[in-house]
Amino acid sequence: MASEIFNQLVDAHYTPLFRFALSLTRNSSDAGDLTQQTFFIWAKQGHALREAGKAKSWLFTTLYREFLRGRRRAERVTALEDLGPVEADPPAPEVDVVTGMDAGLVVEALQEVDETYRAPLTLFYMQDFSYKEIAEMLEVPIGTVMSRLSRGKAQLRAALARKESAGRSKVVAFNQPSARKLS
Amino acid sequence: MNNEEAKFILQGYRPNGTDAGDAAFRAALEQVQRDPALREWFARQQAFDAAVSAQLNAMPAPAGLREAILAGGRVTTPDRTQASWWRSPAWLAAAASVAVIFATTLALWPKPAAADTALADYVLADAGKDEMHGGHGTESLQAMLGDPANRLSRGLPISFTALRKDGCRTVTYEGREVLEVCFNRGGVWFHAYIGRRADFPALAATPAFLDKEGMSVAAWADDSHVYLVASKAGRAALQQLL
Repeated sequence: MASEIFNQLVDAHYTPLFRFALSLTRNSSDAGDLTQQTFFIWAKQGHALREAGKAKSWLFTTLYREFLRGRRRAERVTALEDLGPVEADPPAPEVDVVTGMDAGLVVEALQEVDETYRAPLTLFYMQDFSYKEIAEMLEVPIGTVMSRLSRGKAQLRAALARKESAGRSKVVAFNQPSARKLS
Repeated sequence: MNNEEAKFILQGYRPNGTDAGDAAFRAALEQVQRDPALREWFARQQAFDAAVSAQLNAMPAPAGLREAILAGGRVTTPDRTQASWWRSPAWLAAAASVAVIFATTLALWPKPAAADTALADYVLADAGKDEMHGGHGTESLQAMLGDPANRLSRGLPISFTALRKDGCRTVTYEGREVLEVCFNRGGVWFHAYIGRRADFPALAATPAFLDKEGMSVAAWADDSHVYLVASKAGRAALQQLL
């Protein structure tokens, strides 16, 4: 029965957990490890959860804590809350540009967002959790979540704009010398 | 609420509309309805968020990750104790009280548990004597015990008196009668011992197990009878009967 529940949990959540892990670690292999580690912690301790309905947020919270724990071993956390006011809405790429982008590029842009903002932003874009749930999971006040979403979205727009511009510059006109060298 | 405040709050409004019923967004959404510039900003914001969200949620997990997690989960043993509860002074005090109560109760109890372990020992010894067995008991009882659909711990519709009258093998343990019948389930032989509950009041309803010298026994009780089932097939085989 316990293994049945475990299998159901894995099937329901391993992909979104991996996506969250990928945005945090910026590395597919580390993200896979972090996702596995989270489920193994559930296998050891999750049975003690009193409310089965809380399993999903428990998994995401645990994954985030494990990420922080692992990262703290390597470096000091930089406080990014005092970096100044949110910049005014930067020029955002058009929606159809985002839609036309490869999903991997959008995830790469997300990974360029500062880590403090990246965690709430990824959870927000997964659309599975409300801002209140995100605040609980990250153990920060609701106002902080809103603020981080605002800053995070600004950084994401800027990163997407950079990627779009870099993509455009890769298209070389045929009448340029560099184009002739390639042919 | 001005437009800047509304924008700040609406950053947390998910593009799939899940937050439509959240009162925290109500005032900001009303402001959106009133102000055309804010409405345009909100429409752009929602379209952008929806596009990013769709791309993120299209990202697949690597092949083999699911299987690796499932395989790892199968070999991960659950912790039966939580890491932090025992660190709490309140829990520690409660645990100490329970330990004192338990030790006192154990010291004052008239020691039936030892008698039941002795009964289980007796059953193990008796069941090990091959020459004593070989199809004693009524056929209907053997058929009932041998039926894989019957979970023995859920109770058996039997009468101690009727079984003894029908010629079930009877052994005497410390002056108390115990009936014995062999039965086969799925090719495995078991020896069932049935006593009167009144003669063995300390046996619990929850099955308990004892393993000794290649034999295992399961013991439990219902309102009228106590049951001990022994086998050389091991504890797992006994658990399947229950």
